[in-house]
Amino acid sequence: MSASQFLTIFISAVFIYNVILSRFLGLCSFVAISKETKPALSMSLAVMFVTTMSSIITWFIYRFLLIPFDLTYLRTISFILVIATFVQFVEMVVRKTNPAMYRLFGIYLPLITVNCAVMGVAVLNSDMFFINGRALPGSFWYSAFQGVCAGLGYALAMLLMSGIRERLDLCNIPESLKDFPLAFIIASIMSLSFLGFNGFKF
Amino acid sequence: MKKFFNEFLRGIAKENPTFVLVLGLCPTLAVSVSVINGIGMGIAATFVLLGSNIIVAVIKNSIPQRIRIPCYIVVIATFVTVTEMLMKAYSPALDRSLGIYVPLIVVNCMVLGRAEAYASKNTVMNSFFDGLGMGVGFTLALILISGIREALGAGTILGHRLFASFEPAFILGMPSGALLVIGLLLGFFNVLKGRKA
Amino acid sequence: MKDKLSVGTSPHLHKDESVSRIMWLVVLSLAPAGIAGVLIFGLSALRVIILGVVSAVFSEGIIQLLTKKRITVLDGSAFLTGLLLAYNLPAHVPFWLPIVGSLFAVAIGKQVFGGLGQNIFNPALVGRVFLMASWPKYMTSFTRPMNYDAITCATPLAALKEGRAFENLSSWDLFLGLRGGCIGEVCILALLLGALFLFYKKYISWHIPLTYIATVGLFTYIFGQQGLFSGDWLLHVLTGGLILGAFFMATDYVTSPLTYKGQVIFGIGCGLLTAIIRLWGGYPEGVSYAILMMNAAAPIIDRFTKNRVYGKR
Repeated sequence: MSASQFLTIFISAVFIYNVILSRFLGLCSFVAISKETKPALSMSLAVMFVTTMSSIITWFIYRFLLIPFDLTYLRTISFILVIATFVQFVEMVVRKTNPAMYRLFGIYLPLITVNCAVMGVAVLNSDMFFINGRALPGSFWYSAFQGVCAGLGYALAMLLMSGIRERLDLCNIPESLKDFPLAFIIASIMSLSFLGFNGFKF
Repeated sequence: MKKFFNEFLRGIAKENPTFVLVLGLCPTLAVSVSVINGIGMGIAATFVLLGSNIIVAVIKNSIPQRIRIPCYIVVIATFVTVTEMLMKAYSPALDRSLGIYVPLIVVNCMVLGRAEAYASKNTVMNSFFDGLGMGVGFTLALILISGIREALGAGTILGHRLFASFEPAFILGMPSGALLVIGLLLGFFNVLKGRKA
Repeated sequence: MKDKLSVGTSPHLHKDESVSRIMWLVVLSLAPAGIAGVLIFGLSALRVIILGVVSAVFSEGIIQLLTKKRITVLDGSAFLTGLLLAYNLPAHVPFWLPIVGSLFAVAIGKQVFGGLGQNIFNPALVGRVFLMASWPKYMTSFTRPMNYDAITCATPLAALKEGRAFENLSSWDLFLGLRGGCIGEVCILALLLGALFLFYKKYISWHIPLTYIATVGLFTYIFGQQGLFSGDWLLHVLTGGLILGAFFMATDYVTSPLTYKGQVIFGIGCGLLTAIIRLWGGYPEGVSYAILMMNAAAPIIDRFTKNRVYGKR
């Protein structure tokens, strides 16, 4: 566990293997909610919170339930249930205790239940930081940090995209490319420019 | 019989999950580097879709309205787990190249979308053909995208070299190329639609 | 340009400037660098430039014809895109490379957004990173300067990245452009002449180029290979595509922020990203990636640096 390891996780999760632009996780919400900056930001906050928390929770499940009892084949089903339950629970708590926050980002929580980004990061963590059923040293911190960074990567792509699409409102884009097609082409160019970080070594 | 056939056809053309409904794009883009991956993912998703559509249609009246989504998710996750284990056992190479995108079928909006929008309201037979049509439509879309990407990005189709002198553009094998191909294809289908309308 | 919108009492004199005129004058300001490139790398450089420009203009015309838009190939913008793309290529590339690159630059970099003045990314750079990702082997084999056969050599930055000393080039050589590199980026002297002309005509302001170059210099000086504050900042400023990028591509009106404050942020961002990619990234050069990333950020920067409308909270 060292600072450079964390930096590498940061650069690779945010830029090189950006959840949206490189791993294509959370693509549906990315094209659907990136039309304006405010909702995009709220959604990103919600995703960041959930990826972080679910990384932590699924680490505990994987480390202390699935591995000791030799149940790793139940990974998919247990992760999705835990994530769905957690998201539902948070939504209920936020709605009851803090209506202002609920309006800001609570309404996006149900969408996140089936957001591939959250599930994808949980699965990736268990692939990357566990080898042959053994947790790597520091794997808990790596998992949690990767959760944060994946969320950050999502937020970065979302923020840039929403800014661009707000500006595109003023342009006369060819009719057939409006909305989805152009959003994908922009994402493609963004993904191209993030290639600059390929092979990053600190 | 004709009715079932129509259910089947709808998923392939008029409501193609990829190009018309724009659902379930994560695996479409991620695994479409080569045609063989595309077919593998298509079959896996079709299997899950068929299974979950049938089971959801069977149990639709016995699950309480309020917790239906978690129930669907459990059904889907079960089929995904079965797929994962089958693939690990019979085709480990494919399993390795599809990687995390096999377990991720569980959060594929297409599968849950069909369960919620179709199977929970229709008969078992109809749901079966709907699932089959959607699955085949998804697979065909994957074959189209991965065919373009493999031909231009690696110069091969199913591993066979196309032209000796053609220098493939590596970008199409990269994530950025996948986004570009899907963007242009969606635009292209919009043009076709506009011409028909 | 943009910051000169002012409110005043009559008489209003109208300055005879149009987009097309500006485009052609920018092309003119790039001419010395092109001539220097041809002198340094030989006629194959000229071939690349001509192919790039002609195919960019043709692509624009054909796309406008197909989409039934007004054909504006003579406004100089497609010419400029093709020219900048060619300047970003090595001199000895296969003939189809500049053609494919220009087509991609004009089609995907510009026309999908609706054409002139609406693109988010710099089209020439979109073309360049596309070629770089697709055919890296052609994009990274550079020829020796003043030696008109296709003998390859490494660029100073590539040599630096691999940790070997490059062939004893003095700063003066670098300033004149006697090194391996892309056609239009090598001769700093010619580029500065063109940039001076643009400053004199007030087509570009100092904000982006100066902050960009200063940030790269400062950052590479601080994080030198032999410890802090030991970096060879002059080498980093004089090599690679920094000067070409900072003066001619990052300053593109359409793809950079509107306010001076935004432009300073833009320049610093470009500088940081360029330096980070050069020092720790896998590629020796990061100018085009850095500018594209900041292009993507420009609308957001604009959003947060917008001048307040009076009376609005």
